[in-house]
Amino acid sequence: MSQEQPTLIGARVPKLDAPLKATGSATYGHDVRLPGMLHGRILYSEYPHARVLRVDTARAQALPGVKCVLTAADAPDTRFGYGRDNVPFKNQVVRSLRDEVAGVVAVDPETAEEALRLIEVEYEPLTPVFSPEEALAEGTPLLHPDRGSNLFQTYHYEHGDPQAGERESDVLLEAEYQLPYVSHACLETSVVVAHFDPHGRLTLWSTTQIPFLLQRDLAEALGMDGSQIRIIQTAIGGAFGRGLDIYPFEPIAALMARKAGRPVRLAFTRAEDSIAAPARQPARVRVRAGARRDGRLTFRDVSAVLDIGPYVSWGAVTPLVMMETTASLYKVPHVRFHTDCVYTNNPVTGAMRGYGNPQSTFFIETMMDRLAEAVGMDPVEFRLLNANEPDTVTPQGLVITSCGLKECLQAVAARADRAAGESAAGWGQGTPVSPARDPFHGAPPSRRRRGIGFAATLNVGGGARIYRSDGCGATVKVDDFGHVTLVTGATEIGQGSETVLAQIVAETLGVSLDDVSVENSDTDVKPWDVGVHASRTTFIAGNAACIAARQARDQIFETAAEMLEVKPEELIARQGKVMVRDDPERSIPISKAVRRRHFRQGGRIVIGEGWYDPPTRLVDKATYKGNISAAYGFGAQMAEVEVDLDTGIVRVLRLVCANDVGRAINPMAVEGQIEGGAQMGLGYALTEELLVQEGRVLNPTFADYRLFTAADMPRIETIIVETDDPGGPFGAKGVGEMGGTPTAAAIANAIYDAVGLRLTTLPMTPERVLAALDTHQPKDGE
Amino acid sequence: MQPFEYHSPRSLPEALRLLQELGDGARLIAGGTDLLLRMKQGQLAPRALIDLRRAAELHGISFSPEEGLRIGAAVTLRELQRSPLVRDHCPCLCETASWMASEQVRSLATVGGNLCNASPAADLAPPLMVLDAQAVLVGPQGERRLPVEAFFLGPGQTALDRGELLKEVLVPPTPGNALYLKHAPRAFMDIAVVGVAVHLRMERGLARAVRIALGAVGPTPLRAGPSEALLEGSAPTASLLEEAADLAARACSPIDDLRGSAWYRRRMVRVLTRRALDRLCAASLVGEGT
Ligand SMILES: Cc1cc2nc3c(=O)[nH]c(=O)nc-3n(C[C@H](O)[C@H](O)[C@H](O)COP(=O)(O)OP(=O)(O)OC[C@H]3O[C@@H](n4cnc5c(N)ncnc54)[C@H](O)[C@@H]3O)c2cc1C
Repeated sequence: MSQEQPTLIGARVPKLDAPLKATGSATYGHDVRLPGMLHGRILYSEYPHARVLRVDTARAQALPGVKCVLTAADAPDTRFGYGRDNVPFKNQVVRSLRDEVAGVVAVDPETAEEALRLIEVEYEPLTPVFSPEEALAEGTPLLHPDRGSNLFQTYHYEHGDPQAGERESDVLLEAEYQLPYVSHACLETSVVVAHFDPHGRLTLWSTTQIPFLLQRDLAEALGMDGSQIRIIQTAIGGAFGRGLDIYPFEPIAALMARKAGRPVRLAFTRAEDSIAAPARQPARVRVRAGARRDGRLTFRDVSAVLDIGPYVSWGAVTPLVMMETTASLYKVPHVRFHTDCVYTNNPVTGAMRGYGNPQSTFFIETMMDRLAEAVGMDPVEFRLLNANEPDTVTPQGLVITSCGLKECLQAVAARADRAAGESAAGWGQGTPVSPARDPFHGAPPSRRRRGIGFAATLNVGGGARIYRSDGCGATVKVDDFGHVTLVTGATEIGQGSETVLAQIVAETLGVSLDDVSVENSDTDVKPWDVGVHASRTTFIAGNAACIAARQARDQIFETAAEMLEVKPEELIARQGKVMVRDDPERSIPISKAVRRRHFRQGGRIVIGEGWYDPPTRLVDKATYKGNISAAYGFGAQMAEVEVDLDTGIVRVLRLVCANDVGRAINPMAVEGQIEGGAQMGLGYALTEELLVQEGRVLNPTFADYRLFTAADMPRIETIIVETDDPGGPFGAKGVGEMGGTPTAAAIANAIYDAVGLRLTTLPMTPERVLAALDTHQPKDGE
Repeated sequence: MQPFEYHSPRSLPEALRLLQELGDGARLIAGGTDLLLRMKQGQLAPRALIDLRRAAELHGISFSPEEGLRIGAAVTLRELQRSPLVRDHCPCLCETASWMASEQVRSLATVGGNLCNASPAADLAPPLMVLDAQAVLVGPQGERRLPVEAFFLGPGQTALDRGELLKEVLVPPTPGNALYLKHAPRAFMDIAVVGVAVHLRMERGLARAVRIALGAVGPTPLRAGPSEALLEGSAPTASLLEEAADLAARACSPIDDLRGSAWYRRRMVRVLTRRALDRLCAASLVGEGT
């Protein structure tokens, strides 16, 4: 019966907040202005490692327009952050050039900035530590002496018998990888506005991704009770993991507001954001892997060292994800994974989209390519042979329910033979290309090589339990006019969660999308949620919204059943009406049923409540095994590249991306996630690197930190694979991070196909490619 | 950014008078796309800004068969890119402008600002140099002309004397072809890692008026004299072009910086010079037959 078919699920619905954002009427963090608001600025350390001997604020204090100056003396002596190793202002030792030493509150940012220059700080430089190797060496100064070591944490994982795996291998390969610092490069720099009301309750306007954890962490950092903190999330101009922890500027803003007795806004400049906000950890990784002659994988052995900088954030948990790719992408009987997270006096690092997965997928999938070649198999055939399958449990304990890995690989491979020339016109190429505009500067065809490369990806798609709850709450209210309000714990960071959740609720209640609004920005109003990360929102918040909407629907059905004189089970909700399933002519508007329920003696309002915490568990502390996600997403990409043999320029002509998303609730939003992920993956592969020398970021502006711009983008072809996950709302799984995870590997493999070079350092800049070409120039016809 | 006075003179004489009066604490501003960045970063803190954009004398593009193209210093990159006169007489300049910066920046940035900022990587410098362009400087003592290449003295340093400003650029009519190749990681919004401009014309199989200029590989944009001398009047063969490209690579003195290392830049000078020469020789040979 056609009326049973979902109508809004799978609909290409534009994002609900698109008009607001396109017309500039959305209120971002930078737009928040409160009456009497003051401006804060932070003074950072001049040394990567030093003792702070004296901070003299007298001259700054005396500058007209300055309201107050803060130092460590103004902050409670409690540590915060994932590693409990951070404080708002560093009172004894600074451990990086981004360390906060003092702060100024003034009538405008310029005055505050000027006052910073009047603060005198006396330092006693300490020996800095700029590499993990150095940090772990005997006799190196300790960043946090009370911890007894610069080694923050080690992750060691094994399954099977890696040594036996080596013996079973007919081919055994080894490679070392060097992965760079990468910036989130959010369009909106970090910003927060803090205000204490006369009762002493703190409100924070924030772009955080974890409002409830921040509420708790902030309470701890400020010595307050969580109930005294309210977090209001503004429209968020990019997050990508930057907002996945508490960072010092947040308690600092609160301390400033408290001391000044007025609202205080703290907004980073771009350069400040590149330096003081966390970056993706750089890593050095050694990989060994083997296969049998028949193509079956035998073992993987990965050792990585992560430079986490001076303080630990949730980003230090990224090895869990690197481990997951290493242990569970493809069927590998024997795996060993070892990672050391090491303190240094380099920039601070944190979580970033993919959370370790772009890194691990790069080394695992380039290794897969080499193994395929070593056993003489086609790279796609080789991957298909070893691919994960539905309804299996990996040795790591991942319970794989739906799995479209093979379909994704086959889908991108099917596009491999299509000649690139015809379809390669990228966005920047609407007009004919003149020789001067040609990215290859008119290189003769004999000096160019084309190649294609593949890579696949596995990512959590049903939440990821890294905290004791991976849950999300929701309520759905239906008012007398039939208008539906979803209040969800989930956070919108531009990924389109509002739209997708509204679709789920509208579909469940049988109303149109226009009848649904979403409230998701105020901890005083919305129910708890762990935060927006791990591609979890559609799955987790979607399930919670679905539960709440069903409960509201049941309430409506109860009343409608009385009115229509049938049993509730005989009813369906469609087109804003409650209908009798077998006799759709018999119906009443939902609003009418709500009013009937409401306006009577002993009446009730329609409000449904949903809480969804997936049936998963934290990994075992000793073995790191366990099913942390209720579903897993899969994907594959094919990159087609052209390499200029004389300049080392690599141009991606096409990127074909297939993703198993369970079910695409909104295909347009899925495509947006994949394209956006690809943009970040392309940058990771080819252009993006925060250059750090002796702890200093050398390229903190967008002039020198090179993101892919619209004009640089190749054509992105997206293919949606649907596997209808049994646990997801309407069968959906997460897709938020997968768009960018396999990109660097696919491009590296394509470069190999083009010129026979295996590159293991990212980004693969023209200079690096040319240097490699100098050691190996492909022969004609190669 | 420090507070500053802002002046917006309505004519060239008024601008010159202000420049005289306000002295060293004053700074000229056109589009501000270089200057304001440096002010915001605290590298410069002028007491006064003199905005040149309302002085009509600094605007406009015209052509005369004797003098060639006249391009006012306050002409924006966008105007340059879209000017039919420039397209007809020096298409290379339109092309160069069209992929500088971005549409927004090009609407502000000026020709004069690009030259007076005197960045070794200024994209307009190499093509103007190979087009044999002259810079017209004006000051209290009146006007004087200099070849564009003599205008650059070092990074951020020009031949402008105190009280002088750049009025316009003159590009003589050229019967040859020019091409500028810019090597940068991105299509737009990037400063050149290396820029190479070449001009030549083929006469009865011989290369004439060979001029080669290199950007971002020395303290100023520079001419590759030895390469030019080698090719002038020669019948270009593959090996001769390769030798000229080699000489160009040797003529420059690049440094390591964030955008590229010295070895890479030198290599790119050779590769791009060779490619530009190949293309111009081929194009001129075709042109010669007709
Ligand atoms: C995002 C971005 C991208 C860019 N991309 C490029 C690029 O691709 N290629 C490139 O070459 N440049 C690029 N630039 C640099 C800049 O835009 C150009 O150099 C531009 O042409 C400068 O012109 P302006 O009018 O803005 O100069 P201003 O900033 O106004 O002035 C620059 C300097 O010249 C002086 N000056 C200006 N006019 C005169 C005059 N008539 N007489 C004497 N002195 C004068 C000023 O005092 C100042 O010192 C870029 C800049 C930005 C911000």
